[in-house]
Amino acid sequence: MKKNLRFLSALFISKTAMFTQKLFGMNASYFPGKLAIKLCPDFLGRIDKPETIISVTGTNGKTTVCNMIIDALTANGYDVLSNRAGSNINAGVASALISGCTISGKAKKRVAVFEIDERSSKLIYPYVRPTYAVCTNLFRDSIHRNAHPEFIFHIISESLPKESHLILNADDLISAGLAPENARTYFSIAPMNTDLPESINIINDMRICPNCHHTLDYRYVRYHHIGNAHCPSCGFASPESDYAALPDFETGTLTITHHGDTEQYPLVTNSIFNTYNQVTAITLLREFGLSAGQIREAFSSLNIVESRYSSETVNGVEIITHMAKGQNPIACSCVFDYVKKEPGQKEIILMLDDVFDRIASSEIMTWIYDADFEFLNDDSISRIIISGVRCEDYKLRLLLAGVPEDKLICVSKEIDAPDYLRFDGTDKVFILHELYAADEAMKVRDKTAARLQNFEGRA
Amino acid sequence: MEKQIIIEALFPEIANLFGDRMNINYLKACLPEAEFIDTCLTDEPAFVNQPVSMIYMGSMTESQQELVINVLRPYREKLMELIDNGCIFLMTGNAMEIFESYIENEDGSRVNGLEIFPTYARRDMMHRYNSLVLGEYEGIKLVGFKAQFSHSYGDNSNQHFYKVVRGCGINPSSMLEGLKRNHFFGTYTVGPFLLLNPLFVKYLLTLLGAKKRQLAHEDTIMAAYRKRLLEFENEKLKYQ
Repeated sequence: MKKNLRFLSALFISKTAMFTQKLFGMNASYFPGKLAIKLCPDFLGRIDKPETIISVTGTNGKTTVCNMIIDALTANGYDVLSNRAGSNINAGVASALISGCTISGKAKKRVAVFEIDERSSKLIYPYVRPTYAVCTNLFRDSIHRNAHPEFIFHIISESLPKESHLILNADDLISAGLAPENARTYFSIAPMNTDLPESINIINDMRICPNCHHTLDYRYVRYHHIGNAHCPSCGFASPESDYAALPDFETGTLTITHHGDTEQYPLVTNSIFNTYNQVTAITLLREFGLSAGQIREAFSSLNIVESRYSSETVNGVEIITHMAKGQNPIACSCVFDYVKKEPGQKEIILMLDDVFDRIASSEIMTWIYDADFEFLNDDSISRIIISGVRCEDYKLRLLLAGVPEDKLICVSKEIDAPDYLRFDGTDKVFILHELYAADEAMKVRDKTAARLQNFEGRA
Repeated sequence: MEKQIIIEALFPEIANLFGDRMNINYLKACLPEAEFIDTCLTDEPAFVNQPVSMIYMGSMTESQQELVINVLRPYREKLMELIDNGCIFLMTGNAMEIFESYIENEDGSRVNGLEIFPTYARRDMMHRYNSLVLGEYEGIKLVGFKAQFSHSYGDNSNQHFYKVVRGCGINPSSMLEGLKRNHFFGTYTVGPFLLLNPLFVKYLLTLLGAKKRQLAHEDTIMAAYRKRLLEFENEKLKYQ
């Protein structure tokens, strides 16, 4: 698409808006792009783009994968344009491109990494055509917006340009089938001794063969539908992977076999969930052209940003805040599983209410029946303090999960929750909070810490 | 001697999209002595060869709806006979559409349904409809959530499940929700319909002939219901 007067005007005005926002210390990662698209609807098609575009989409892990890719490329001398600081919808991508171009709309950088919201694929991919398109996984997410994985699958699959090289998870039989005519590279994690013979989660959206509808046989399952399966009736099966990874959590190493060669990397996580994210990033970086040595060097100094996690120890008790993304049953189930598996005796404060819904509406609570609250039914969890307007709903869910009623306490105000902690043999207090309740969670954490400071009952 | 209660859940491997499965789990908790049968897509449904007290099916994807229609089509006459004979059916979310005349896609193409009800559904995949709903059925106030791509059209004035007080019925212009014939209850309300409506569960237990009509976790489920009902009856509450 050529640059016309309308485009140049939109670019000038949006650049001016960006400059003004930055002048006043505002985050200019959304509004300038929104303004540009409003003034010139095909703005994304007319602006120059970097030569190589890497897009990352998927239900879970896309921010982490983007961060890993950007950090590794930057460590290897690439000047990367990205939407890391802001929105992952079309306005966010437009804002990033505005910031990375001259006043005439010419791209200043040669490589871009964009996180793409799944539903926004159809607004972005027709104009911003990725050289490499990464999809981390596809799961259920918010039912209001994302409906179900099949709906999201079709949006992405039908939007991807034919020339994009796909980087896909062979252990996710949903996203593995995206845009079947595109060239692709698969990654997977090889069988591990912690694998399960079948899914223990409530949600498994890949139970039946997409071809003949017989029940799939799983060779192994990691969580939900992530694993390796085949159809005993028609032969449909998980694809062979090009990059097969094997993590060793004890030694902190990640071994990847690729075309018969073995490469080793430092493992930057102790969770299987983030191991998948790291393998995704490594596969992309290898396909992009970095050597194993270049990636290894970059990962040796890389840490996963734990902005959604905090830990402090007061009077011998560790207080951990952990984001549990409300309305997202997969993310919450992963957090509940993590809490269960953490060593020590635990008390939990739940603050999962949607902070926006409770102002003017009533939260749609269907998702709690898709989330594995059963993981919280564990001897190592001595008490669960359920806070917020929807506390009775969570209590009912936990009762149905088998948690004894005497372990459950309902409080309507989150800030009152620490008053009900007993610290009776407690090693850890987990404060599990919704995405937009982080500030309130910090207040709850501080109050918990203050109570512990003055608590004399602990030996 | 009390009649054995048998509840058949159809196709739980797919028809469980929005926490719908917990309706069955809750019935299990309320009816520990009842028999529950899970019927997979490749099984012959239990209702074909044995008496069942209730048949349940939950929400599914659009392509799975077509699959389910094809699986159930050979049993259409049997399903009609069961409905006529008073077997209880509970269909949540778009499972209800399976029993309608047809489902129309945006391009005008149609998927024939089981044609047990004369209404039809129309999909609009680019516009998701999300809403709360408050209604009343035989004096029981019902609350629910809607999240759907399709609405039903046609006359359900003599075959609706409940009257809507706030929100909408089978389509945005309707105040009559769902479909009902004898003890067939179909509603677009997604997910844990029974967990949101304990008084309807009590009604259901009566229909099932359950000896004990005590709800599982009754105090908690009633407290959650009362709080939600209070919110839904608040005129300032945003429904969409």
